[in-house]
Amino acid sequence: MNAAFDPLRYRADFPLLARKVHGKPLIYFDNANTAQKPQTVIDAVDGYYRDYAANVARAVHTLGEQATAAYEGARDKLAAFLNAGGRDQLVLTSGTTQAINLVAYSYALPRLQPGDEILVTQMEHHANIVPWQLVAARTGATVKAAPIDADGVLLLDRFEAMLTPRVRLAGVAHVSNVIGTVNPVAEIARLCRARGIPLLVDGSQACPHQRVDVQAIGCDFYAMTGHKLFGPTGTGALWARREHLQAMPPFFGGGEMIRTVSFDGTVFADPPHKFEAGTPNIAGFIGLGAAIDYVQRVGLERIQAYEAELLAYATAALQSVPGLRLFGRAPHKAAVLSFLIEGVHAHDVATLLDHEGVAVRSGHHCAHPLMQFFGVPATARASLSFYNTREEVDAFVRALDKVRRLLA
Amino acid sequence: MNTLYRDIVLDHHRAPRRHGALAAPSHACDGVNALCGDSLRLELRVEHGRIVDYRFRGECCAITTATASLLGERVQGLAVESIAPLQQAFAELIAGGAADPALGDLAALAELARYPARRKCALLPWAALSGALAGADRTTTEKDAS
Repeated sequence: MNAAFDPLRYRADFPLLARKVHGKPLIYFDNANTAQKPQTVIDAVDGYYRDYAANVARAVHTLGEQATAAYEGARDKLAAFLNAGGRDQLVLTSGTTQAINLVAYSYALPRLQPGDEILVTQMEHHANIVPWQLVAARTGATVKAAPIDADGVLLLDRFEAMLTPRVRLAGVAHVSNVIGTVNPVAEIARLCRARGIPLLVDGSQACPHQRVDVQAIGCDFYAMTGHKLFGPTGTGALWARREHLQAMPPFFGGGEMIRTVSFDGTVFADPPHKFEAGTPNIAGFIGLGAAIDYVQRVGLERIQAYEAELLAYATAALQSVPGLRLFGRAPHKAAVLSFLIEGVHAHDVATLLDHEGVAVRSGHHCAHPLMQFFGVPATARASLSFYNTREEVDAFVRALDKVRRLLA
Repeated sequence: MNTLYRDIVLDHHRAPRRHGALAAPSHACDGVNALCGDSLRLELRVEHGRIVDYRFRGECCAITTATASLLGERVQGLAVESIAPLQQAFAELIAGGAADPALGDLAALAELARYPARRKCALLPWAALSGALAGADRTTTEKDAS
């Protein structure tokens, strides 16, 4: 175990982790669904509402200046966090879903022609499938999925073979939400770039677990969400190459995205504000700024190293449970463990684990095509974070053994 | 371990009664909760307005299986018109209402009042039963999109 990393030291920063569920200490293993928030994030949101709540980019009074500085300061923090290159390349959104939809409607829709293709992978979340299907249906384009192997690893040669001249855009998860596979996005970006095909990377599950450098990846678009990164819900961002943001028309119209408005014609603001109509989630992004400060202090390299050790420990522990099938055995994966126990439905697993204080997700994880690939309707999923411990993994495995003896 | 998974529920999960297929069903309905992955087929033989035989089969969670098993035990021999009030009584029970004595062993599922997300599991066999009687081929208790 990483001697320098003490998860107990960080657990104390997360008030919710001290609560009990059904009289048992909470073991929160649903981090891929949403992560818990450190006190500094809660305080940042609270502080905005208590001390300087005002709208941004409009009011010249003191509160407005403070709110604008804090909100735009959060954009700077996120830009630095992702190595965005410039703050103008970061459009703040409600989350990954809105970010991908912005690309689908503002970038892809005007460009797609009948017969064109959008290439994704078999392991995508619905958020990186359905927006493409919607714009494909309106343009006569089609959505294709590159296959994966039985371990849940993308077949890169097949992906490359599918990058034909018909492909107008590719969309790939950085990290799978269901099986934790870390895709070689820099390599994928290189393949796409060599063919002039823009690549969108869905970074929802990557940002909480590893350092992300969008320029080093070399993609065209990178979508992320704040609530999985220990920030408030309703926060996220689209990073994009500057030339794309300049060429893309606005998606939502309204206040804050304009320079001048008249009935003879409206002049839009420059990116990123061109895409940010209306009053944004000010408190949420101030909270996200605090979340980024927090994970930077903990250190993403240290988080990644500790989680890798915890994953190895949990994988070995789960394999000791008779009749347990693990889904996803990629050599390079995040701390996500999807599983089934023979003869036990995933929802029964989740309900019974909840009674032992263990929170896991059960179901299709918004990834029907991946469930179809594995031939199961649902799995149970334990997703770990740096504030989880080996002792929690041990208690989880003991609870699973109880479930198995009760139902299997 | 858990009052939802009481002994009688576990017993009907492990050894479901009236499990299988009927040779000549007069009514049948598939209950499918695709998002959950629960799928059962319920078959009935109705004669002179009474359920004279009941069988179910499928791949379901313990709550759905136990409910389908307990339901078969309860409705065997009942008049068709008594199903709707019984179904109503069950729906009220698992929403936190009082147990109607007419429900018999099905009252073991009362704890579902504390598990709103799992109510649709127990309601699936009921929907398949009322669906079969109404002539429907397929039914679901999933309304929520995801």
